Amino acid sequence: MFIHNFKYALKTLFKNKMLIFWTFLFPIILGVFFNMAFSNIENSEKLEIIDIAIVDEEEYRVDDFYKEIFETLSSGDKKLFNVNYVSLEEAKDKLLEKEISGYIIYLDNPKLVVANSGINETVIRNVLEEIEDTKDIINNLVQLKVQEEILKNPEVLNYMESLTARIYEEAVNELNNVQVNVKDISKSNLSYTMIEYYTLIAMTCLYGGLLGMTAINKCLPNMSSNGKRVSIAPTKKSTMIVSSVLASYVVQLIGLSLLFLFTIFVIKVDYGRNLGLVVLLACVGSLAGLLLGVMIASVIKAHENLKLGIIISVTMLGCFLSGMMGITMKYLVDTKMPIVNKLNPASMITDGFYALYYYETTERYFFNIFSLLLVAGILFFISYMFLRRQKYDNI
Amino acid sequence: MIIFKAFLKVLNKYKATVILYTVILVFFAGFNMKDTKSNQGFIAKKPDVLIVNNDTNQGLTKDLIDYISKNVNIISIEIDEDKINDAVFYRNVNYVIYIPEKFREDFLSNKNPKIEIKSTGDYQASLASLILERYMKVATIYNNKGMDEASLISNINNTLNKEIEVEVTSKLDNDNLSKLTSFYNFSNYSFLAAVVFIICLVLTSFRDEKINKRNIVSSTNYKKFNQSLLFANIFFACLLWLIYVLLSLILFGNIVFTLHGLLYIINSFFFIMCAVTIAILLANIINNKDAISGIVNVIALGSSFLCGAFVPMDFLPQSVIKIAHILPSYWFIKNNELIKTLETFSWVNIKSFMFNLAIIGGFMIMFISLNNLVSKCKRKKC
Repeated sequence: MFIHNFKYALKTLFKNKMLIFWTFLFPIILGVFFNMAFSNIENSEKLEIIDIAIVDEEEYRVDDFYKEIFETLSSGDKKLFNVNYVSLEEAKDKLLEKEISGYIIYLDNPKLVVANSGINETVIRNVLEEIEDTKDIINNLVQLKVQEEILKNPEVLNYMESLTARIYEEAVNELNNVQVNVKDISKSNLSYTMIEYYTLIAMTCLYGGLLGMTAINKCLPNMSSNGKRVSIAPTKKSTMIVSSVLASYVVQLIGLSLLFLFTIFVIKVDYGRNLGLVVLLACVGSLAGLLLGVMIASVIKAHENLKLGIIISVTMLGCFLSGMMGITMKYLVDTKMPIVNKLNPASMITDGFYALYYYETTERYFFNIFSLLLVAGILFFISYMFLRRQKYDNI
Repeated sequence: MIIFKAFLKVLNKYKATVILYTVILVFFAGFNMKDTKSNQGFIAKKPDVLIVNNDTNQGLTKDLIDYISKNVNIISIEIDEDKINDAVFYRNVNYVIYIPEKFREDFLSNKNPKIEIKSTGDYQASLASLILERYMKVATIYNNKGMDEASLISNINNTLNKEIEVEVTSKLDNDNLSKLTSFYNFSNYSFLAAVVFIICLVLTSFRDEKINKRNIVSSTNYKKFNQSLLFANIFFACLLWLIYVLLSLILFGNIVFTLHGLLYIINSFFFIMCAVTIAILLANIINNKDAISGIVNVIALGSSFLCGAFVPMDFLPQSVIKIAHILPSYWFIKNNELIKTLETFSWVNIKSFMFNLAIIGGFMIMFISLNNLVSKCKRKKC
């Protein structure tokens, strides 16, 4: 009987178009949208070469110091600017047309003209200030050195000009050779858009609740004619329920496998290096999602649509709190109200994948696995208490 | 009036959905609303930086921290490596600076101590890196001249205190306009999801076979019936639009009363009317009530993701932008982005705005024509 019901439950679930849409198709469609929208977002946030203009007037042409620096900054591997040398009118037009982030005019001192305050504008200002710093340092160094030389040998006053020129050159060289000892120890896997895809997996796991609910509703006499027939059949109720739930779990795992294949091979989502642990998390997460649907179906005595609404709402709220609509939300909840995400199965699944992707150790991952198993156990217990020994005077 | 009342009755059944979408929008807008004072001068962007100081906070170390703090937003979180890693991953911090033990002592004795950093690799982190390296460079050069600590600090500060004159040409309140633009861009999702979902649900109720037959045999002329239904749809859409405009007024205040605000309002009105025509067409095509939420979700989410309602248009790949041209949402969002940058309201500037509105109008005509075509085919089949 177990196999018989399992087979028919599978058939029924696969023929339910709405269920298949929400558990198989919708996550893949959403994945495509995510991919289209997020594929460029991290690259766009990197500092790119900034287009600027320099007003090409006499004051600039005679300033070798600035000219040399801007030639260095606009060429080579570490190129920071694309410099356009133009007249004032052209610079104004370019700024208005947004072809450049800002332009520089040389009067007594350099002046920066920008359209508004932004990152590029701040970088240009910082670079200009750094050039001014350099100028100041060189002047100070030259002054110090000249004083030293005069103290050592007062006769140098006779050939001051050539001495200053030599010291100036030495100072510039010294400045160019300064090495700042800064070491980058950042992790390499910093792609935050991965969280969006992990929440997608979490959503699919929890949408498995729809399958669990449908399976239970088919066995409940107060929900469908099918349920009435099942209830009066001379078969053990537990056999019917367990086989139906198992069929739902199989359908859910098939849907999830399709989503994994799609995200790994088409979208190229990085789930970390340990495939076994990824599969384990997906299976445990699905179980928790499925049992959520079973619990709602068993506890709430209401129309199917209301149960469906509750499962979708709980899932979407859980995904929202775990960062589906913006990763800031997950961090905010994790740091300000950690208890909320410790109780949220969607966050446990997302955090489990995040732990596999970002951390070398597995403590955080296993904490999430045990939390999910605990949630699944509680949901199973509640469902069991409500499903056992149900009797109806009338329906 | 009977038809209008019937429409409202069915609508009343779905009030929970309308409220849900409105709440999502308010929540999102509220989430993005930080206290931004209007400004028209130059405000340097500040990256979020965490400083982990393992040295004593005095002398040169203190001066370095003071300089960094002046130029960045200092973030304070518990000094725990996992928490720091989380903060970097979730972009709560763009740059982490680890000042090593005995930094001051080692630096002053020319040992060139190593400063470790963690970075998100984005432009904010690059800016933080520029700021740190600027200080370290100046400090190293002066330190090589064998100065004592007090003169070293004084020289560093004298050099770093130089400021460049910056002139900002735009007279716009960019921060608040950006937020208003995000609010109206997000309304693309709310308008499409709420209007299309609700109108489809209500219209399919009217198209139920038994109800439809009853309507056909009634004394009401079918043209009058369709007119009343259309009027009811537009009434509902206007109501929703009004709620969102009022919301923008509450959330953004005075800026909505400017000419920029007026253009956002006009643009959103055109778009919501376009959403009504999409809804009517879909209601005519879809026969199964259960399929509505799936179709609406795909349409609303799809056009929002592809056209820049959720992710700013500048961050979308060119290929996606090209595809987006065939959707009305693209022109609606493009117009919002255009309004944000309008300095003056001359005809030259307004022309592009009007052009985008005309395209949305063109989409409306296309959906209405398609709807008529589908109706004609359906009637012929009957």
